Amino acid sequence: MTMNFFAPFCIPFMVGAVVMAVALVVKYARWIYELPRADKKLMLHGIFTRRSLEAIWEVFRESLLHRRIFKVNPLLGYMHMSLAFGWFLLILTGWIEVVAYLGFTYVPLQGHVFFKYFATGLEEHKPVFNFLMDFFLLMVLSGVFLAWCKRLYSKAMGMRRTTRHVLGDRIALSALWFVFPLRLAAESLTCAIYGGGGFLTGSIGSWLSAHVGGAVLEALYEPSWWLYSISLGVFFVALPFSRYMHIFTEIPLIFLRRYGLHPREKESSFDNFEIQACSRCGICIDPCQLQSVLGINDVQSVYFLRDRRYKMLTLSVANDCLMCGRCETKCPVGINLNSLRQNSRDTMRNIPDESRYGYLASVDRSEGEGRVGYFAGCMTLLTPRTLSAMERIFEAAGEDVWWADRNGGVCCGRPLKLSGETDSAKKMMRYNKELFYKHNITTLVTSCPICLRVFKEEYALRGIEVLHHSEYILRLMRQGRLKVKADGGKFTYHDPCELGRGSGIYDEPRAVIEAVGELLEAEHSRENSFCCGASLANTVINDAQQLKIARSMAAEFAQTGADTVVTSCPLCKKTVTRGTTMPVKDLSEVVAEHLA
Amino acid sequence: MERVIVIGGGIAGMKTALDLNRRGIGVTIIEKENRLGGKVLGWHRLFPTFTPANEVVDTLKAEVASSEIDVRLGTCATALTEHSVTLSDGTVLDCDAVVLCSGFTLFDARIKEEYGYGIYDNVITSADLEEMFNQGRVGLKNGGRPRRIAFLHCVGSRDEKVCQRHCSKVCCVTGVKQAIEMKKLFPEADVFNFYMDIRMFGPGYEELYREAQQSYNIHFIRGRISEASPTIEGRLQIKAEDTLTGRPLKISVDMLVLLIGMRSNDDNASLAESAGLQLAQSGFMAPRDLFLSNVRSNRDGIFYAGTVTAPKSIGEVLNEGAAVADAVTEYLS
Repeated sequence: MTMNFFAPFCIPFMVGAVVMAVALVVKYARWIYELPRADKKLMLHGIFTRRSLEAIWEVFRESLLHRRIFKVNPLLGYMHMSLAFGWFLLILTGWIEVVAYLGFTYVPLQGHVFFKYFATGLEEHKPVFNFLMDFFLLMVLSGVFLAWCKRLYSKAMGMRRTTRHVLGDRIALSALWFVFPLRLAAESLTCAIYGGGGFLTGSIGSWLSAHVGGAVLEALYEPSWWLYSISLGVFFVALPFSRYMHIFTEIPLIFLRRYGLHPREKESSFDNFEIQACSRCGICIDPCQLQSVLGINDVQSVYFLRDRRYKMLTLSVANDCLMCGRCETKCPVGINLNSLRQNSRDTMRNIPDESRYGYLASVDRSEGEGRVGYFAGCMTLLTPRTLSAMERIFEAAGEDVWWADRNGGVCCGRPLKLSGETDSAKKMMRYNKELFYKHNITTLVTSCPICLRVFKEEYALRGIEVLHHSEYILRLMRQGRLKVKADGGKFTYHDPCELGRGSGIYDEPRAVIEAVGELLEAEHSRENSFCCGASLANTVINDAQQLKIARSMAAEFAQTGADTVVTSCPLCKKTVTRGTTMPVKDLSEVVAEHLA
Repeated sequence: MERVIVIGGGIAGMKTALDLNRRGIGVTIIEKENRLGGKVLGWHRLFPTFTPANEVVDTLKAEVASSEIDVRLGTCATALTEHSVTLSDGTVLDCDAVVLCSGFTLFDARIKEEYGYGIYDNVITSADLEEMFNQGRVGLKNGGRPRRIAFLHCVGSRDEKVCQRHCSKVCCVTGVKQAIEMKKLFPEADVFNFYMDIRMFGPGYEELYREAQQSYNIHFIRGRISEASPTIEGRLQIKAEDTLTGRPLKISVDMLVLLIGMRSNDDNASLAESAGLQLAQSGFMAPRDLFLSNVRSNRDGIFYAGTVTAPKSIGEVLNEGAAVADAVTEYLS
């Protein structure tokens, strides 16, 4: 049997498909071509390993099933799954259907997509395909229906706020919303005239043929296929230039990530994959305290990525972020939001001042001798109760300590790095690194999670173990070198962003607290803990706004019934103190008070 | 006989009570401490004349003692309306008007942890220094004589970082007064004052400031201290910036005196809520206006006097005591 697979109404679809295909190929080829050498190497080394298989499995889970969105909210997850997986199954079953009817023969793309239109002359019907195709169409339609509902009432899907979209996105979104209802209309009309169809299109078709005149049906028939084709065409043309670019981009992103690629200190071509894999779902908006406490609505990760993608990023958007990482843990695509923001800041702000760091060469005010080095950090020097508590702890444990900066020292470099002045930060890092090596330490303890993070991530200290004081104190206690006594005190604990989400240290401080008293958890703790608001990463909000965040986050501590708020970051301590009337102490102070 | 309840038995409360009592109005003073006198009791001499503080307090106390004023010590007001005051033990006292004279709270210098108050020896507050003067044992913790003394102005005042934006007004001249007193006690010592602005608003203050520089050779450095830390010799190293020369500065001193500010009482908010009173942004009570009704609250029958509405000097507080007695008398008639 031969079939004609062309009709004029196919043209909008065909044009759209070609434009989309060309745009995608050009974009991906360019991004891969422009990858840094090291990234290309990683890619080549990874392709023929099991990582590729793992990537395929992840693509299935995340790009089709959207497992991570299910974790945010089941209904929201179903909405995304029904659209992505439903559409995928519709296409897949469609191809199998064509093969089932026609055998393995060449059928052009539009032939597959509009098969119902071209296949009206078929003599036999395969009810199983009619059923499946209708079932999957219904699945997609339910997703579209939920998407409409989400626009009207997003709270039902666990989202207080959704993204405000730009015009291009709105066009693409409208086209997408119409694709499937129009497909239903076109196929149902076809069934009304030619018969066939499953429980959905077939039933609507017979109802139409029974209640609507043949002339009307005939008049509507061709236009319905035209509209379906146009909506597809518009959507395809808009896709590479709108948020829907994420549909395809998440796939190479998953593979590249499995090969070990990640955003770098400086902007690189890999960033394109992350930026354009953002679907602008807006799940990052709700966790943002700038939004929930201060009502700032245009700086969240979704807007940052959008602005960066369309080259309209301003410094005030790039800098207005606490980098607390709350949104990053929720991002269903797993985009490295903080790293991208940081390398944007580098591009916009990195103006090294060569003359400013000349003094570094002559500074070494360190004192003491020991294998264990202690780096207080600027903020600990400004909260000397922590420093003196550490002195007592070291003494109680009988540790010989080399004090890196008790008499003043050089900053760890992270504040400058966060502000984008990467190269200046490097100078400080190089200085401190040489200082650590010069004094032959094997362990480096710091009380400041901000320092801790940069020591771990940037310093590459070979032969020196870097520990936060919470880890170090716990180790001393477990080794029996530090004896504490419990006195039934009630404590609650604030997870500093840089220590918890930043460095993954949640259990150690809790274990230490439980050794001296009772730990009562606040409603938001561990991965969900709030930022104190004074993050060094944000150089835009003012003091009053910081205070507002501190007060809002500290309100939970009073509800725990604890007597004391414990934290393990000198900056958090200072900030939380402003936000509550409860006593706020560093972990080391609590330990020093309970020394046996 | 009409009865007015005065909440607070400091100089504002006593002056108010005395002036009302003189007009034949029954007065009850509610004082949370076990003695009258308030914060001035802890002070040694008063600026700018070095008048002994007890001259003021003792005179007022003696007058109260010889009057018919009903004094209730060791109890505080937890709620009030224009016709009643609820005490901490639950008793409700009825009255015809209330004057709130509950004053202020001294800023807790431990919050400015970077200065090391409560952590290092020989970091003291201006209030601690007055107490030392009163006890006649001024000196270092080890009994030694300080060779270098630094005063730091605006600790807990004009400081957004500790949520105290207002100026406490009296600390500038207190710093000048105390610097002179220290110089008199330790003529060999170098005395430094670190300040943001020097606000010499009262009679004789500017003259005292000039005298401190010319006759006592006290050094004034414009710049706040950023941090203090102990040195190996047991002294204190302070870091600051001399903002007039634009240079960072690091000196070792033997004693650091923090001129702590006046902040609003924590219970202002609950008292205000119980009576429907308005609070200023600083947490102090907000008078009806700052001019003709500066001792009236936004509610008829409830009045203010003294530092419950803002930091004030002793002279200003006593004037308000007289003014509020006038306003209450007018209200009751």
